[in-house]
Amino acid sequence: MDGSIGILSQVAFWGLYSGCIYILLATGLNLIFGVMKIVNFAHGEFLMLGTYVTFFLFVISGFNPYVLLICSIPVLIVVGIIVERLCFRPILGTGKLNEIFISLGLIYIFQNMVAMIWTDEWRSIKSPFSDITISLGPLQLPLDYLIIITVTILILVAFYLFLQKTALGRAIRAASQNRKGAMLMGINVEKMDMLTFGIGAGLAGAAGTLWAVSGQVFNPYMGSIPAIKGFAIIILGGLGSIPGAIVGGLAIGMVENFTAYTLGGSWKDAVSFILLIVVLVIRPTGLFGEAEE
Amino acid sequence: MKISNARDPRTLLTAAFLVLAFLIPLFIGSNLYYLTILILMLIFIIYASAWNFLTFSGQGSLGHAAFFGLGGYAASLLALRLGLPPLVTLVFGGAFAAVIGILIGLTCVRLREWFLAMVTFGFAVIIQTLVVSQLAPVTGGWDGYPVPKLVPTSIPGYLMIEYYLILIIAIAVILIFHYLLKSRIGLALAAIRENELEARAAGINPVPFKLFAFGVSAFVTGIAGSLEIFHFGYITPEIFGIDLSFWPIIYSITGGLGTLAGPIVGTIVVTLLWDGLNAVGLTYARFIIIGVLLVLIIIFLPRGLVSIPEEIQKRIRRKKS
Repeated sequence: MDGSIGILSQVAFWGLYSGCIYILLATGLNLIFGVMKIVNFAHGEFLMLGTYVTFFLFVISGFNPYVLLICSIPVLIVVGIIVERLCFRPILGTGKLNEIFISLGLIYIFQNMVAMIWTDEWRSIKSPFSDITISLGPLQLPLDYLIIITVTILILVAFYLFLQKTALGRAIRAASQNRKGAMLMGINVEKMDMLTFGIGAGLAGAAGTLWAVSGQVFNPYMGSIPAIKGFAIIILGGLGSIPGAIVGGLAIGMVENFTAYTLGGSWKDAVSFILLIVVLVIRPTGLFGEAEE
Repeated sequence: MKISNARDPRTLLTAAFLVLAFLIPLFIGSNLYYLTILILMLIFIIYASAWNFLTFSGQGSLGHAAFFGLGGYAASLLALRLGLPPLVTLVFGGAFAAVIGILIGLTCVRLREWFLAMVTFGFAVIIQTLVVSQLAPVTGGWDGYPVPKLVPTSIPGYLMIEYYLILIIAIAVILIFHYLLKSRIGLALAAIRENELEARAAGINPVPFKLFAFGVSAFVTGIAGSLEIFHFGYITPEIFGIDLSFWPIIYSITGGLGTLAGPIVGTIVVTLLWDGLNAVGLTYARFIIIGVLLVLIIIFLPRGLVSIPEEIQKRIRRKKS
């Protein structure tokens, strides 16, 4: 009995860890959706780029991979800004699903550019702490996972403070609440679009670094599924709600790991979509979503 | 139904196109590689047209590979277990995809665009998971199983026969779509697409029409999937892959969303580009080129390649005035 509780809490801990990656993705997607009202299906490619930036810098410099967060976040912010300027700005306000279609193009571009540079082999890096585990009663906690959870919390707190306390954060929130109103108040909404897209991409980049240091394997095509799950999370949590993204991310992380434990690994991806479909059948606007505009 | 005006350039173009489609194997018939490309092109014309038909009702799907694959599995299992000829079972493959499509449609009719995209994508993932895990005893899991060919390879010139068979199916499908869209059903679908609230006010209940569009689209997609399986002679769960969901979207957008000619033009142009780039030796780069093409078309030519003549006319008129 004791052993099974041990295993269950172990699974819960993995869920917490994979939830962290999803939370970072979903928060970024949510921020972008809040301000621009678009859905970026290519968001997972930022995650993938984040893992490769980390991988590349780790191989050439040998730094502690956690330090590389300082590089992967800014690099992805710049990538995000470029993508927003070149691809999403021109189609803002045009056809209904254009942003999804343009994301498809971006997915092909990013995946195969990375595949051209680093080939499409599965890669992984080894964190310097990968051998250390901390025993807590029956639990075996890898130190890396603890650091990842802490880093995620730190990033989220920093992000929250940025949104709440700084003038820029206020402007972003204003643009997200009422685009026209913000414009009338003299906020440069287009600059906010650029900024939020950059920040969203930066958060995905951070998730990429954390993905790589956790010892998980990655290849150029690994991004699409996590990003679409990130999107499932923000539907569950309600479009535009950041607390919803955090709760939804943890929920999906947990459900996935418990399903993999009970039904077998092949159900890991499918279960989040089953959850999403069940929720949408009951509430077509998502768990905490507002009614139609 | 009015018979189109013979002097309409579009009628002439269509006629020329049909003649070309019927004559082209006579010129390249000895080259099996080109013939295979043409056959796959036809299958994807059917597939992309089916996907595009769904957009006529204002719905979209990111997971049409689910129906493509279900059609393939249902048709090939029937052909294997009951020994029925593939040409018969592909109708059942389509019907099976349509039943599942209507079930999925039932969960989707109330959803907004993004949610719909997510749910359809999710269904493709769920169905693939089912096929490789719980249904593995029937489906052979990830390994798949060999299936009979559409036309047995023992018949001389089997690929040529296959080409003409699929060409006839493709023409039939496009004609059906053409007449459906011209009928009252097509008008109702257009009304729902443009403004669902107004359509309701005009006495159109959107739900059955949307389900109808879903069912028809899934049916034809299932047939396209069966055709591909019977062409290759093998099926694996890769058929549910994300790529296969994305291709019809890329074809339709490149050609022009919401037009019958769009998916046809798009499939031909993108396939030729794709295989041309492959022949030049670009593997990853061709994906990048297709991606860039897609982005450029969405930004600069939102109504696709078929709108080029119109755009040129507009330019000329603007210069004159």
